[in-house]
Amino acid sequence: MTSAVPANVLPSRKLRLTALYFASVAVAMCLLFWFLDLSPSSFQVDPHFIGDLFHQFFPPKMSLFWTKPALWMSLLDTLSMAFLATVCGGAIALVLAFLAASNTTPHPLVRLAVRTLLIMQRSVPPLIVVLVLLIAVGIGPFAGVLTLTLGSVGMFGKFFADSIEQADKGIAESVQSVGSTRLQTIRYAILPQVMPSFVANLFYAFDNNLRAAIPLGVFGGGGIGFELAFAHGLLHYRDVMAYTIMIVVMITGMERISDWVRRSIITQPLLITK
Amino acid sequence: MATSNLVAFPLHPPFLEWKHRIAAQRGKQALVGIVLALLVAVTAWRCEVHMGTFLTGIGKGIPVVGMFFPPEWSGLVGMLQPVGVTIVLAIIATILGMCFSLPCALAASSNLAPAPLRLAMRSFIALERGLPEIIQLLLLVAVFGLGAIPGLVALSLSSIGMLAKLLADAIEEIEPHMLEAVAATGASGSQVIRYAVIPQILPALFANGLFRFEFNVRAGVILGAVGGGGIGYVMSTAMRSMEYERACMATLLTLTLVFCAERLSDLLRSRILGGGSLR
Repeated sequence: MTSAVPANVLPSRKLRLTALYFASVAVAMCLLFWFLDLSPSSFQVDPHFIGDLFHQFFPPKMSLFWTKPALWMSLLDTLSMAFLATVCGGAIALVLAFLAASNTTPHPLVRLAVRTLLIMQRSVPPLIVVLVLLIAVGIGPFAGVLTLTLGSVGMFGKFFADSIEQADKGIAESVQSVGSTRLQTIRYAILPQVMPSFVANLFYAFDNNLRAAIPLGVFGGGGIGFELAFAHGLLHYRDVMAYTIMIVVMITGMERISDWVRRSIITQPLLITK
Repeated sequence: MATSNLVAFPLHPPFLEWKHRIAAQRGKQALVGIVLALLVAVTAWRCEVHMGTFLTGIGKGIPVVGMFFPPEWSGLVGMLQPVGVTIVLAIIATILGMCFSLPCALAASSNLAPAPLRLAMRSFIALERGLPEIIQLLLLVAVFGLGAIPGLVALSLSSIGMLAKLLADAIEEIEPHMLEAVAATGASGSQVIRYAVIPQILPALFANGLFRFEFNVRAGVILGAVGGGGIGYVMSTAMRSMEYERACMATLLTLTLVFCAERLSDLLRSRILGGGSLR
């Protein structure tokens, strides 16, 4: 007599498996914490100290907003860094994407070379790029812009190339059948198809670059991150809180705007939303 | 000659309309181009972009890059432990993020949670997402001091924020019929969650968790440089003390680490989303 239900979905068996999964995750967590040399006691902090610290942090020194106009300029610097990096990175990524897409590339070897370049650009950590660039072009927003540009090219070149490869072949063929050159095919058959997703992704890139610009500022890339790290170094925590409020408002606001624009340009979800 | 041309191709309304539309489109494109050019000019001025600096920078940068080679292979063994710390930090932060984001997402979804709870949860998530990890780390360093703990807490918190947002959106997309069907069998609120909601969002939880793991590895390197420990700390101290060959070794290890994390996360994610073994 055979059972109608496969053994691995019998309720008792399933329960045991679930318990086993949870237990193994718990054991793994304990081992990982042990590796880091952390115990629950290392998370304990003196409540007295916390109360003290709270008074150092609050209330945030809001008066900085009107007594220190340079602050707004550094906020503008951060926005400028993200904007410039998005525009330059987007332009370079667009060109590289046509070289890297299998249906528009002049030669498969070019495709391989460009794809490899994009992978390399994506995996080099921005930290090392900015540290090298700080030596090359000096401390300031310019180093930050260059770092962000390189990062955007790596990330969006690949994405653009993938969306070009997914473009409808029929349109390209019909344009070719009236005798268009390669560039004309790209201009009239492929570009109109991929443009909405390009633009939508550029807004996403701007969002991303804005977030990434803050840590770069901390390392000397200019902008509000630099000011924040400076205030933190001086232990002026109330100033730090004021800067933090500015940054949170800026990032959240920009995210809202970019989301709204993206939704009005394109209706389908992009990148990783699933 | 001209008149005969006009007779041969009369400018009847559809053609005229098309011409107007093209002209309007051109005008719009020109406007966008001008605005873009102006913005680029302003931002380039704010960011102190000079072609001269860039060109001399290339001249200065190439010898610097040359100093990175050959990498200091002897430092490899000593750096394995910091690499391990970075990996472990990312794993712990991801697991904690996945565990805590589930209740947060349930509390933040419009079809399950009551309005006040949802509003509170949504604003917490928005705050968490608007606050860059590096600022969280700087604030936490003030509380816990330098070391692995502030990095761990910062990464976990931002993992919770991101995963909770994505999961809450996934929960809100669940068909209302499914919830109703389970509720119609007499299931209580928690049973509806257990049998109608969780099975549906589990793939999204694992897929996004894996994506977040990859992100945590990258972010962990940056947070490490500010004082969170791990390979990022080794890299930034080597750069500060101008031991470029050592920094190069650390960079190579980081590259390998990030590349492997990306491959692993891609592989597992495609298995999960492609109807893999998870249920």
